[in-house]
Amino acid sequence: MNIKDKMRKRLKLNRPSLRARARPPKHRSVCGSQFSAANLPGILQLQNCTDCGHVQYPPAELCGACLSSTLIYRETPCTGTLLAQSQLHHSLWEYFKRRIKKAPWPIASVQLDAGPVAIVHLVGNSFSTGDRVKVFSHSDASRSVVLLAVPESESIDTPALRRNIVDTIQLDQFAEHQQGI
Amino acid sequence: MKDYGGVVLTTPISMGYARQSPHGAAWFVGSVLREMISAAGLTKKDVDGFSVSSFSLGIDSAVALTQHFGLCVRWLEQANVGGVSGILALRRAARAVQCGEADIVACIGGDGAAHRSFENTAAHFSSWSTDAAFPYGAAGPNGPFSLITAHYMERYQAQREDFARICLDQRYNANHYPQALLGHKELSLSDYLNARPIAGPLHLFDCVMPCAGGEGFLVMSEDRARRLRLPAVRILAADECHNAHADDPIQDRGGWTQYIESLYDRASVGPKDVDFLQTYDDYPVISMLQMEDLGFCKKGEAPDFLNKTDMRFDHSGPGVDKLPHNTSGGQLSCGQAGAAAGFLGVTESLRQLTGQSGANQVAKAQTGLVSGYGMVNYDRGICTAAAMLQGVDA
Repeated sequence: MNIKDKMRKRLKLNRPSLRARARPPKHRSVCGSQFSAANLPGILQLQNCTDCGHVQYPPAELCGACLSSTLIYRETPCTGTLLAQSQLHHSLWEYFKRRIKKAPWPIASVQLDAGPVAIVHLVGNSFSTGDRVKVFSHSDASRSVVLLAVPESESIDTPALRRNIVDTIQLDQFAEHQQGI
Repeated sequence: MKDYGGVVLTTPISMGYARQSPHGAAWFVGSVLREMISAAGLTKKDVDGFSVSSFSLGIDSAVALTQHFGLCVRWLEQANVGGVSGILALRRAARAVQCGEADIVACIGGDGAAHRSFENTAAHFSSWSTDAAFPYGAAGPNGPFSLITAHYMERYQAQREDFARICLDQRYNANHYPQALLGHKELSLSDYLNARPIAGPLHLFDCVMPCAGGEGFLVMSEDRARRLRLPAVRILAADECHNAHADDPIQDRGGWTQYIESLYDRASVGPKDVDFLQTYDDYPVISMLQMEDLGFCKKGEAPDFLNKTDMRFDHSGPGVDKLPHNTSGGQLSCGQAGAAAGFLGVTESLRQLTGQSGANQVAKAQTGLVSGYGMVNYDRGICTAAAMLQGVDA
């Protein structure tokens, strides 16, 4: 095989669906990366405004209430109420495509008691609207931090407990493809 | 607010619709411009205002396009606001013409659809979406809208059959509009209900198909249009409001509520008097929110309203009340050509109000309402706009 054919074959094979390991979306904005860094320890750290006390999510450069720039990450109460949930049967990202092949992927929006609304990975299938939930942060297989929601009754106090929950939905593992390149 | 007297919209162009295209956004914007000036009997020199909306220009901006197309303009705008692009463009351009800042403004929305480009647009749509929505299943807009739809269905007891009313009547309209990408296929209720699931309550026919395409129109003085013998349309009233009701935990209304009464007042036309309605139909539930917020029915009553309303362009459906809706099939049947989708309702209204529609002409259409919605920055669409349009001869 000459170089040209070799390159052509490479190009043909170098697509997400043929790769051995797929990861969740890694890219984040600068604020998003800071959110990931702030959330490595603890259950849930959100931006708090030291001027007006506003708690905000998604992360931004300025306080959405008073436009002050004195935002710091603080441990935030992790309880909230489930607003709506949905099972994804289709995704644009190879990692989720592989997961969805096995079972639909549940997501939800949660009104946190601290104020903001968060879109989260929902762990479990027996939720209904208005249920009380706990939301915690954890790194995924791309080493970016994402939020997960579990029933309020579930204990998430130690890192080991939270890691076990993440393990049940395999969010910390690559989605593998046998014979992938 | 000062009215838009003396200014008209003319020369609607819709072209180049394709599921996938090797061409970039500049090709679509420029091709619309070419078709537009040739249809209006103008030359490039006559166009002194240029408004561009596109998601896929990449590192180019509107001003780069003036050099590409050899245009010299004294008024330039780039309005990348998705589903309200068309109405935003017409409002800005009408004021520019009214104030003498430009004589003829070409308002164009155009987007390409390269292989796998949609995935890229969705992944990098906004910083909040990248940080806090896309990582959760990477469903693109289907994710947030499945949550909005699930919430609406639960709160107002809406059924999938109610959403089907919108999709089915729009497909009928598209069957009579040659450019609609899905217009060659009929859609039955059982097709709709048995479609494969996409996200929560959303199934295949609730979701728009991303595609390539270009849409545009010209804005000029009424005198100029008359001299050029161009059929034209007046703006009776137009408004916009962005990021309204930000404290609602999940969206079931939009910014239309902030201005719609005043808009009807200024236009001296109410929802009962319009000959058609064009809504932004990225998902059927969003058309329903618009019908409610624009005063066609009360909040939460859209399912009832749809079941007794015939939305076909030719009034051939069984519904007692008649309201032609998205008469070209909307995005659900035409395809969603990026920012051009925000122009779809405007160009279709211009064709209807000037009698230039072909097989899908609404009989005796004189007045129509167009509404826009867009930009899912995080968990909801935050832009809204609406315009009441009337044919000049009406």
